[in-house]
Amino acid sequence: MSIAPEPVAGARTNLAGMLVVPATIFVAIGLIGPVAILFRYSLNQFVPGQFMVDGLTIENYVKFFTDGFYLNVLWRTVRVAVICTIICLIMGFPLAYVLARTESRFKNLLIMLVVLPLFVGNAVRAAGWMTAFGSKGALNASLMGLGVIDQPLEIMFTETAVIIGIIAVNLPFMVLTLQSVIEGINRNVEEAAFSLGAGPAAMFRRVLWPLAMPGILAGTILTFILAMNAYATPVLLGGPKFQTMGPLVYGQFAQQNNWPFGGAISFILMTATLLLTIAANLIVQRRYR
Amino acid sequence: MARLSIEHLRKVYGEFTAVDDCSIDIADGEFLVLLGPSGCGKTTTLRMVAGFIQPTAGKITIGERDVTTLPPWKRNCGLVFQSYALFPHMTVAENVAFGLEMRKIAPADRAPRVTEALRLVRLTGLDERYPRQLSGGQQQRVALARALAIEPDVLLLDEPLSNLDAKLRQEVRVEIRDLQRKLGLTTIMVTHDQEEALTMADRLVVMEKGMVRQIGTQRELYEKPADRFVAGFIGRSAFLDGAMAEAGRFRSGGGLDISCKATASGPATLALRPERLAIGADAEACANRFPARVEHVSYLGALLDIDVRLTEQDRILLQVPNRPGAAEPKPGDMITIGWAEDAGLVYPREAKA
Ligand SMILES: Nc1ncnc2c1ncn2[C@@H]1O[C@H](COP(=O)(O)OP(=O)(O)OP(=O)(O)O)[C@@H](O)[C@H]1O
Ligand SMILES: [Mg+2]
Repeated sequence: MSIAPEPVAGARTNLAGMLVVPATIFVAIGLIGPVAILFRYSLNQFVPGQFMVDGLTIENYVKFFTDGFYLNVLWRTVRVAVICTIICLIMGFPLAYVLARTESRFKNLLIMLVVLPLFVGNAVRAAGWMTAFGSKGALNASLMGLGVIDQPLEIMFTETAVIIGIIAVNLPFMVLTLQSVIEGINRNVEEAAFSLGAGPAAMFRRVLWPLAMPGILAGTILTFILAMNAYATPVLLGGPKFQTMGPLVYGQFAQQNNWPFGGAISFILMTATLLLTIAANLIVQRRYR
Repeated sequence: MARLSIEHLRKVYGEFTAVDDCSIDIADGEFLVLLGPSGCGKTTTLRMVAGFIQPTAGKITIGERDVTTLPPWKRNCGLVFQSYALFPHMTVAENVAFGLEMRKIAPADRAPRVTEALRLVRLTGLDERYPRQLSGGQQQRVALARALAIEPDVLLLDEPLSNLDAKLRQEVRVEIRDLQRKLGLTTIMVTHDQEEALTMADRLVVMEKGMVRQIGTQRELYEKPADRFVAGFIGRSAFLDGAMAEAGRFRSGGGLDISCKATASGPATLALRPERLAIGADAEACANRFPARVEHVSYLGALLDIDVRLTEQDRILLQVPNRPGAAEPKPGDMITIGWAEDAGLVYPREAKA
């Protein structure tokens, strides 16, 4: 306790400052530490048989950016993540809007239904998709039984399967983020727009979309990051030939024992995610602020 | 501007009838106030006119147009919400221009109309502010300017003043009224503040439980309330339950014989305005005179409110001027009270045990 009375605002700031300390320490130890170590590893040399040799080289990065295979994996990952995020936004917005505005007694039940897929782990869910999409799976069996097709559809181990799988995982995050923001938008504001002559499309474009922008940003960032880093879904639904960045990192660490190259890929994945997110944010903010 | 007509409007939610057979005609340029206790269906009625609620039955006509099934954006109603509902991401000028933008009016032509609307509500110079940078009263005016800018056929106000403090409310009340007169706006306002309703309206609609009880001017509602509910809701009334003994004679539950100007028969309620009652010497000339015991006196400065008991079952409230020098009755005093034959209004009553 200081002797001179503090101004209230100052006291608050101090308290707020102290309250963020635990989270800051956690982030520092749990995130920045490992990232720093990874980055350090990525500059080391990999000598087969000797595991890791201390050094200061960019050869791991050079290897990644000069090899068409790795660049292809990066491009594929970004493409899948962007497609998933856009589809999540398009499908999630109407659903979130209905959830936010419904006066139904079953609102909580509906929200539970949206969250329900998250109760099933990624791996279990992907396994479920496998049984559904496989050439002898439920979908093909019923379509062929009905005589709609005579050759089984090739869904398993395609980009389509991975995209469907990732959307299923990410959609609840998008919906819940949007829903909470839309709930905070006063219904009367939409009605005011209607009464001033705005039809539904104009109201959406001029009022709802800009006011929901914080939620749209949060939701797309969240789903984009999740999609970029997806692991179980691409492994199980994409199969060995459909490589994305997440499984690639894991393979380098666990199977190849090539920690420096694994570190470099991790770092590239992280940087790419960060840069794309920031770029998207800047573009959006320039348009809507 | 246009006249507005509401015919046999009804809204049913499941089992519950929120608005029942509501018919109101509003003349061009008239200021109509919907008044009634909470939950009586005022907002529901207004929102049906605005187009946000689809009526279960009935017809709404604005000018010559049947708008019953039109969506809100095709009705040209200016709406002011209790919460103002300004667009938080737009400046004051953008808010006011919104309706013009939706009407595809060129930006160059919008500007003078925005300026004019803001001048009308005395908000010149705040164009570039955002709603969060305005006081409640200023936000209220922006909401009004935004509704006026589209030159609406009818102006709809749902408790527009209830978020303002008492002093500001009085000012804005006068301003809205002046503006409405000047522009000749056909207006419906919803309120449950009686004073607000009485000072602003050309005519009032008293609603209760989804039904229109009475439509009329302030004077009509006060002097000739259509039923017991209106008599109790507009101004104050004291009620004596009893029955009509014969035409012109009401017998109260406590056995008082009261002469009145009514020809009804059967169980009835006699309603008396507290200020139409006289005490002491003033009561001498009255057709109805009764001894009464003073139960409670409230000193209100210029006036005194006195609760008196006539018989075991008959209690009434009276209001008398507080004259200097006159003896002030005290609880327990016996006084004489009286009222004219035509002061008591008789309403039929459902017989109760
Ligand atoms: N969507 C709805 N579903 C069921 N009942 C409703 C609905 N909307 C309104 N009601 C009921 O209809 C009645 C009238 O409501 P309304 O909002 O018109 O009242 P009000 O006269 O404006 O009251 P207040 O002065 O409190 O604003 C209320 O009893 C309300 O509970
Ligand atoms: Mg209301």
